[in-house]
Amino acid sequence: MKRRTWPALLFVAPAALYLAVFAIFPMLFAGWASLHRWHLLKPEHPFVGLGNFIALARDPFFRNAVGNTLLYVLLSVPLGVISSLLVAMLVSRALRGIGFFRTLYYVPAVSSQVAISMVWIWILLPGEQGLVNSCLGALNRALGRSLFPTDTNFFGEPGWAMLSLVAMSLWIGLGPRMIIFLAGLHAIPQTLYEAASLDGCNAWQRFWYVTLPQLAPTMLFVIVTTTIASFQLFTPVYMITRGGPRRTTDVVLYHIYKEAWQKFEIGMASAQSYVVFAMILIAAAVQIVMMRRGLRQEGD
Amino acid sequence: MRAGMRLTAMRTRAVLLMCCLFPLLPACRQESDPRTITLRVANWGSPAVESSFMTLEREIREEFERRHPGVRIQFEQIPGFGQYAPKLLMMHVSGSMPDVISLDASSGAVFMDNGVLRDLAPFIRDDTTFQLEQYFDRLVDIFRRDSRLYSIPFDFTPMMMYYNKRLFDEAGVPYPKPDWTWDDFLRIARALTNRDGPFEKHQYGFYFMNVMPFWLPWLWTNGGDVLGPDGRQATGHFDGPRSLEAMRFLTDLMLVHRVAPTIDEGKAAGVDLFRAGRAAMDLKGHWMMIDYRADNIDFGVAPLPTNTGKPTTVVYVTGLSIPAKARHPELAWEYIKYMTSKEVQIKRVSSGLAISGNRLAAAHYAGTEVEDAFIAATEYARPAWGASVERYPFIETLGEEMLEDYVYARGTLDLQTQLSRTAKLIDAVLMEQAEP
Repeated sequence: MKRRTWPALLFVAPAALYLAVFAIFPMLFAGWASLHRWHLLKPEHPFVGLGNFIALARDPFFRNAVGNTLLYVLLSVPLGVISSLLVAMLVSRALRGIGFFRTLYYVPAVSSQVAISMVWIWILLPGEQGLVNSCLGALNRALGRSLFPTDTNFFGEPGWAMLSLVAMSLWIGLGPRMIIFLAGLHAIPQTLYEAASLDGCNAWQRFWYVTLPQLAPTMLFVIVTTTIASFQLFTPVYMITRGGPRRTTDVVLYHIYKEAWQKFEIGMASAQSYVVFAMILIAAAVQIVMMRRGLRQEGD
Repeated sequence: MRAGMRLTAMRTRAVLLMCCLFPLLPACRQESDPRTITLRVANWGSPAVESSFMTLEREIREEFERRHPGVRIQFEQIPGFGQYAPKLLMMHVSGSMPDVISLDASSGAVFMDNGVLRDLAPFIRDDTTFQLEQYFDRLVDIFRRDSRLYSIPFDFTPMMMYYNKRLFDEAGVPYPKPDWTWDDFLRIARALTNRDGPFEKHQYGFYFMNVMPFWLPWLWTNGGDVLGPDGRQATGHFDGPRSLEAMRFLTDLMLVHRVAPTIDEGKAAGVDLFRAGRAAMDLKGHWMMIDYRADNIDFGVAPLPTNTGKPTTVVYVTGLSIPAKARHPELAWEYIKYMTSKEVQIKRVSSGLAISGNRLAAAHYAGTEVEDAFIAATEYARPAWGASVERYPFIETLGEEMLEDYVYARGTLDLQTQLSRTAKLIDAVLMEQAEP
């Protein structure tokens, strides 16, 4: 037995070492730093206990960032899950050339988020320079009247900026979520659908009573991973809105970045990271518990 | 046979992999020849941009290598201006600092006040071939901390009022005089504003942008400021009567007199309105001249209109510094001396990017109306607060947010209340930093 373990350990060692150095150690170190007043360049790091966390609770800008993040999660998770499920069902059919479309939907996932951000800046430019606004303009002309406004500054107006980021997230996250749903859909035994049809179920009933319950474990996975990813929104904010207009897109991760790299307050930034960590932990735990309960009732 | 084929395939793959990694190898290897010294020089900027200016800079560096056999300069450009300071500070903490860095004075406090840089005073004292008097005193003073000096002025620009001569001539308005006041400015701006026709055709007297480095000098020309003289408090200064008056005037330009585009209008235009010939005046630095010349804009330059009888403006300076953790400080000093010398500066400043920090080189380009207006401003221009206040970038964000809120609300907010609120927020930022 002993002889079998050490080669196994050898195989996991590189990955374990990587995780230890680049994930576990930084996490523990950040936890320690969060209890100190820690400026990147100052020699002393006085211990402040939970002082950083207490200061955060009082900080209106941090509370604003938490609120923005929650809003983003609440919008992007349900919309993202629903839209990718619909697309997965659309491309799960064995049509000719369907592989092309599956690939097409997956492309954003393998593109650089920086490049995607640049493209979206152009798509959503104000006036008729942007793709969306110029399409609306063309539509107006085709209809012969000005039905749609074409001067919306999507990333520049407080009401629109967050919605634009959500729209972008749907598009970026579509591919990976779609693939997982596809796998889930293919795993559903065809006989269930046949039985349902024989019992006189229509398409909607087949979806509601066969597809959805069978997809529940897949759904749990997709919802939890999407939620985690949504809490970690950063790149588009950094590239496009920089937290503006008027702090409506200042999400927590961007806030942490500024704390660490403009104020150089590593301790405070670590404390903020732990707040995000706690939020993600709670959100994921709640989702898992709720879904498990749902599954168990289904089984009864 | 099959095993052999697999081996060949593997070998091919290994060779391919090596080819991919090969370009990385020189970067890993610090010094190939033990006699070669690599001098690492860092600057902001994107290495992807190839221009005649970059070629000129490379030639200047190659000349240094020719004069110092066995020295190779490794030029490290750090893209994204916002990334520059964080990246260098991380290099400082991790012990991989370059030997020479460009220092932007307006974000220089964090470097100068935390022991990141080496004091250059001993070099100057021991080096008879170097004369500090060659450099503009006011610029040198920005980099001083008591008896220590952290940077040698490289190049600089004060912010000045550019005006489009063609638009002035068409409207029959005389060019601004050096001693003009806010009233003169407003009168001229009104005469040059034309909001007839569609938005794309609107012409503005002044191109206002909500970038605090561009609007803070307005407070100064009215005797106000964002912080007190010691840079420790905003309350009583940013919300004081002089600043309030200045902010009222600035926002009125957009909301009441309508001689400047509002923040939304400016963004929606999608172009630089001054460069597009749709704004008659714009407050900018020397570097914009390159673009204006390329666009064939017939421009003039005037000092800022002032209400105090005293001219003032802000000056942005770049210096060359040696990090405290540089590996080759003596050679770095030679490089700085070379780069800031009259000879090199004359060559480099020919691009029009900025004015030389070396008086002798600056004098070489004096004599034109525009250049003289810029050089005259060095006598009274003030450094940006970021040269002495580490948290200043945050203060700028707060100031810009306040102005945006106010303009966005179309004047339904009370300006005094907004300024007082922001001043308190700024004080909190400064206090937080001062706490042990």
